[in-house]
Amino acid sequence: MKNSFLFKSLVLIFVIIIITASRTKLNAQTQNVTDSALSERVAALELQANYNKPGDDHLLVVGLATFGFVSSKTTNTIDGISTISKSNGFPDADHFEFSPMFLWRHGTKFLMEFEPSFSNNGLGVNWADISYFAAPNLIIRAGYLVVPFGTYSKRLAAGWINKLATDPMGVADMAPADYGIEVAGGLPLGTMKMNYDFALTNSMNLNSDGTLSSGSLGDVNNNKSFTGRLGILPFSNSTLELGVSGMFGKVGTPGTAFANAKGQAYAFDLNYVNTIHPFLVNIKAQHNIQNISDVNYISPVDSTSTYTFTNHSTATFIQCSLRPTTANNFLHDIELAGRYTEYNTPSNSTWGSDQHSYSIGLNYWLSWRSVVRLTYESYTGNSTAPKALDAYTGKTIKNSWYLQFAIQL
Amino acid sequence: MKKLPFIQKISIALIMIFGLIGVFSLNSCAPTSAIAGKSGVQLWGENCQRCHNTPSPMTFSPEQWETIGLHMQSRALLTQDEKNKIIDFLKSSR
Repeated sequence: MKNSFLFKSLVLIFVIIIITASRTKLNAQTQNVTDSALSERVAALELQANYNKPGDDHLLVVGLATFGFVSSKTTNTIDGISTISKSNGFPDADHFEFSPMFLWRHGTKFLMEFEPSFSNNGLGVNWADISYFAAPNLIIRAGYLVVPFGTYSKRLAAGWINKLATDPMGVADMAPADYGIEVAGGLPLGTMKMNYDFALTNSMNLNSDGTLSSGSLGDVNNNKSFTGRLGILPFSNSTLELGVSGMFGKVGTPGTAFANAKGQAYAFDLNYVNTIHPFLVNIKAQHNIQNISDVNYISPVDSTSTYTFTNHSTATFIQCSLRPTTANNFLHDIELAGRYTEYNTPSNSTWGSDQHSYSIGLNYWLSWRSVVRLTYESYTGNSTAPKALDAYTGKTIKNSWYLQFAIQL
Repeated sequence: MKKLPFIQKISIALIMIFGLIGVFSLNSCAPTSAIAGKSGVQLWGENCQRCHNTPSPMTFSPEQWETIGLHMQSRALLTQDEKNKIIDFLKSSR
């Protein structure tokens, strides 16, 4: 009996030892597998963290896309005879654009900006320049850049920033992109602020009909255009900005009748953005004046004769938009915008016209940088071109509806 | 009166411009203490909406915000101090 109890006890102890040993081994194996997986995961995370650590260079692709539909009815009247035409289409020049923008930062002092653009005008480049942040409030830029003339072209023309589906006529045309160098910056001024922006570029070229073109890689007349803008923000909360710009330079090509032609242009801009409960009020305006020297142009109907005109153009817009600040979510994302635009080109030129348009729009903001907008625009243009040059186009009235989507990417 | 050669005119213009900028940069009126004490969130609210809606901090990573900061400083002509405070706010609010 005693021996039997002893035997059972020994068997029990042996079984316990076996079970304990096997569990310990199993735990050790599991532990090893866990440790190994954890180590691999930690190593992968370390690699990922190292990969994402900031370096000297950083490339970022942003950009914008705009797509829309336009329906127009145009009535043209010449000598009492009217013709009516209607059109419906998806993209047209001002209203379709896909423009990725490459921002390449080299350290904290250099920034390369390159924005190719695909639109109905084809594939082009909006700007391609390098900026050097030389001092706290001094930026030096070189390359293909938008000249600092007014603020519309440089700050407000992007589809997702513009409050209406169209650009104001003529305003952006007088501030082209060109090759050159630029210095710019913002400066504190007590309770106010000011900013400056000066550029020296290849200059625009006077065409055979008196219009201007720009963006030549070479300089046709070895003179340079000087463009400058000074802006002041008189209120401490930056709600108001007033700016004045000037552009001066020779625009004629040597060896032609335009050799000594000079161009002068001035712009005045206003930007007021403030919350006046219950609305965010946004007012923008710009007035451009452009004068080119008087020269003789070859007649398009008789190449042996010439004609002349006072080459004076003006382009103006004033725009106001309202967005509720205290409404519920849906109304908070709605914005109402209106704009008056006037664009007068030289009388007695082949492209002379007195034009104006009224635009009104309803915008729905899907996010801070994407919008669906509905715009109605009524345009009236009275040709001031001479009938003797077969250039008179009568009176044109065009009413258009635009449905547009714009996003910053 | 003798006319200056073109290159001299350009040189004089550049010297005047850089001189003017130098004077502005070195001796510009310092911001008042109230202006200098503005926070990043206040400057973000005041300056971004001058052109577009105020951006969400979540839109870009901290590294990307650094790049965007330089781009916006050159577009909107923010002062260096404003740019730094706005970018610091956007980076820290993600």
